[in-house]
Amino acid sequence: MGNVIIWEAELNKSLTRGQAEKKPILLDFFNPG
Amino acid sequence: MGAVTYPNEKVADFVMNRMVPIQVLSDSPLADEFKVKWTPTIVVLDFYGKEHHRTVGFFPPEEFIPSMLLGMGKIDFDADQFNDAIIHFDTLLKEYPKSAAAPETIYLRGVSRYKASHDAKPLKEAYEKLKADYPASEWAKRAEPYGLL
Repeated sequence: MGNVIIWEAELNKSLTRGQAEKKPILLDFFNPG
Repeated sequence: MGAVTYPNEKVADFVMNRMVPIQVLSDSPLADEFKVKWTPTIVVLDFYGKEHHRTVGFFPPEEFIPSMLLGMGKIDFDADQFNDAIIHFDTLLKEYPKSAAAPETIYLRGVSRYKASHDAKPLKEAYEKLKADYPASEWAKRAEPYGLL
């Protein structure tokens, strides 16, 4: 079974992860309605 | 995006292996900070938080990954890491040559090769490829002066 996307919800945490993992950030703005 | 593109296995694999994904509501303070006016809006940031690539509107799975590869190439391009940018652009053009991101990628690949070598030949090659493969694209028009090199 393949991956599912596990989203972060907080930008600073995402940037910290990005720096640690040397990865860019995918920032998705969405409207659930 | 949430119903079609993000559940796609190839997209999910790409995102989880190559990026840090964050999803926020369009009425959040972060949306104001990034001046988001419509959804879906997708922004590619470097890990310092600087924006390098943005899309507005739906992207099907076959267009989403090349758009992200273009964004990743732009991060390296903007950091003057031209050889790293070329790797992303080459991957995109090899795996997704018919994608909507391809013409811009051909253009930026030519510029990156020029910046890395200071040889103008890649600029002319980029124009010739755009003229041959994507003659109606805006990137073919932007590259027209390179045809005179």
